[in-house]
Amino acid sequence: MFIAILGPGIITGSVDNDAGGITTYSIAGAMYGYKLIWTLIPSFIVLLVIQEMNARMGIVTGKGLADLIRERAGVKITLIIFMGLLISGIGNTTTEFAGVAGSLEVFGVSKYISVIIAAVLVWLLVVKANYKIAERIFLVFSASLLTYVVSAILGKPQWGEIGKSIIHPGMQLDNSSLTIVLGIIGTTIAPWMQFYMQSSVIEKGIKIKHYNYVLVDIVVGCIATVVVAFFIMVACASTLHQNGIVINEAKDAAMALRPLAGVFASQVFAFGLFIASVFSATILPLATAFFVCEAFGFEAGIDKKWEDAPEFYVLYTGILIISAGIILLPNAPLIAISLWTQVINAFLLPVVLVCMILLINNKKIMGAYTNKPIINVIGWATVAILIVLSSMLILSSMIK
Amino acid sequence: MSLFTTFYFSRFIGCRIYDTREVILGKILDVFVHLPGHRPLNDEPFRPKVSGLLVKSNRKTRHVKFTGLQVVKFGNNYKVQCDSLTDMPKEAFTEDILLKETILDKQIVDINGRKLVRVNDIRMVAISDGAFAIAVDVGVEGLLQRIGVLKPIRTLVGLFNARVPSKFILWDDIEAVDYSRFSIKLSKSQSKIQTLHPSDLADIIEDLGKASKTSVFSSLDEEKAADVLEELEENEQIHIIESLSVEKAADVLEKMPANEAADIIDRLEDDKAEQLLQEMNNTVSDEVRELLEYPDTSVGSIMTTNMLSFNQNQTTAEVLLHIRQHKPEIEQLYNIFVVDKDEHLIAMVSLRDLLISNPEDCLEDIMDKRPVFVHDYDKLDSLAEIVSKYNLLALPVTDADNKLEGMVVIDDIVEDLVGERRTR
Repeated sequence: MFIAILGPGIITGSVDNDAGGITTYSIAGAMYGYKLIWTLIPSFIVLLVIQEMNARMGIVTGKGLADLIRERAGVKITLIIFMGLLISGIGNTTTEFAGVAGSLEVFGVSKYISVIIAAVLVWLLVVKANYKIAERIFLVFSASLLTYVVSAILGKPQWGEIGKSIIHPGMQLDNSSLTIVLGIIGTTIAPWMQFYMQSSVIEKGIKIKHYNYVLVDIVVGCIATVVVAFFIMVACASTLHQNGIVINEAKDAAMALRPLAGVFASQVFAFGLFIASVFSATILPLATAFFVCEAFGFEAGIDKKWEDAPEFYVLYTGILIISAGIILLPNAPLIAISLWTQVINAFLLPVVLVCMILLINNKKIMGAYTNKPIINVIGWATVAILIVLSSMLILSSMIK
Repeated sequence: MSLFTTFYFSRFIGCRIYDTREVILGKILDVFVHLPGHRPLNDEPFRPKVSGLLVKSNRKTRHVKFTGLQVVKFGNNYKVQCDSLTDMPKEAFTEDILLKETILDKQIVDINGRKLVRVNDIRMVAISDGAFAIAVDVGVEGLLQRIGVLKPIRTLVGLFNARVPSKFILWDDIEAVDYSRFSIKLSKSQSKIQTLHPSDLADIIEDLGKASKTSVFSSLDEEKAADVLEELEENEQIHIIESLSVEKAADVLEKMPANEAADIIDRLEDDKAEQLLQEMNNTVSDEVRELLEYPDTSVGSIMTTNMLSFNQNQTTAEVLLHIRQHKPEIEQLYNIFVVDKDEHLIAMVSLRDLLISNPEDCLEDIMDKRPVFVHDYDKLDSLAEIVSKYNLLALPVTDADNKLEGMVVIDDIVEDLVGERRTR
């Protein structure tokens, strides 16, 4: 039974560690050493709470998050949220292609070749072939993310210091650390994942009596996300930070590991990055296009032919083309793009979260399954903290 | 006082409502419309009449009836006036639905398009007789208008000599399905849905939210429900069966061909399956139990036990009389089978042979004495080739002793093939 239910939490958890995630965690580790690891703990809790809410909403109502928002919040708010989702979707897909470019550069392949081929292959896979099989293949490959654990340990981390930094986080809140913290939050709790989680639960036809299995699935997925994030940060902290190496590109993180931890670590890191990027590049633009169409009443889904769902296919193809295009621009600042798209996620998150909390506390929709008080507290606190942090970042950028 | 004004529902709600002396009576939250309990007579247009309003005054929500409603348009804004508002108890509106709760932004069934569409706005009219809902706007135009960017986009698109797609559906051609919050008896209002083909209904049900799924399905009569259940995807079938009461589920399963029912019951959990089999009437449940015994890769697992068999001495006329009396489904007519007194398969008669022969002819004279057949425990893979080679629409299935057990029809073979191709 568990195997049948397995999926939504774990897939979402794996896609979470995409190129954006890997880049952000790497920068966090390289620039701040062990100082930002503590942020993973509240991120984990919040991620868990949010995913559980989405799963619960999906199971109880049988409706997707996009549907619920459209039905309850009306057209104008839906427009704002989904424009935001579209922008963050393009941004995140751009980051995935940055990951593809960066990882294959470690093996000496030029970005012009790798990105174009990757984009075309992904498009073909989704539109022409059966992407469900691909999803399963990627799920298996996402175990390759455990290579980060290998990289981290090969870098000989200092466990005592890590423990100390978690308990005594000592960090100043300046512009750059704010950016990274928001980036970490944005990449760990990406808004599009909420929509995806809710829809997966519905697609799997999970019933309320299987709730406990779903919870286990979600917890495992969240743990997977956070554990990989932890080891990425540690790997970069122990090697790059100690030696003052700055990351300008994801491949810098991979290449920098080479002299310190052997040639092996570098290839392994690049392979992991590549798999993660392609996996997410397959799912992310698809999900974004799907949910935007769902909200506005356009037909959507890869089971539909192009003529039956033109808006969906145009949107999907458009996202891929724009994202790949941005990366192919000469001298595109891949790292900056990767980081800032995750920050955009963090900006969008409180908006989606507010909608979710309002929806999930509505008895008419959820019946007896509205939130327990503690969940509401965590939810609203997260919204508040996010708004504060986001405002601080915007203000401090303007003051400069 | 104008003769009639057409207005948009989305702009109507949220408006203040004034009386004739320009006193603000409240803010309009939602509108009650009355749905009649019966289908209108043919060709009589159906326009739900506004029966009341949900109004907010002094922080309280009031259910009210009104007299003399007027809507005056000032550009994009409306001024709503009435002669008077009378408070009513909630119970006064049990036959009515709220437009914003049930229709606006929700999914409804487009009967002609045979699918679900989302309502972007509702077109209404106010005349001396009262106010009515006329049509729903499900097109891009309605969407853009709600956002407020219709005019600029229209101009932009006009530069390319194109138009913003607009789609209105008259109320006659839609059916609301999001009744989860109302205690209306759905059977009354769902009459239009009953006219849809079971496959289309199945597609629609699959796309609905949980509450609507069960309520739409429950409103179907048993024959229709059985047809729709057959067309649903496997997971959906299980959901629906589990959401119905045991009695209702058993009733629906009984109306389905035994092999289809067996397929569904096979996928349920054992205790639920047993419960249903006990509740179903014995002849049917015995048949189902028999079919359940066949492994999934065998012919027996997709065969149906509904087939026509006769004695070789009967005449064509007798056979046709029997058919007219019992009115079987078309699948049973592709081929009829001739058996001996111990149910052994002797021969087969195709529909064509039956129709071209003289009424006095005995089956013995027109039958094919060497029929192609398969055994119930044969593997499924062999079927498609046999059916294709011999151009058969229905293939008899016998047990090891050559007793006629059932038949496999072309529809089921194709379904099996299509299913296989998907997973390859």
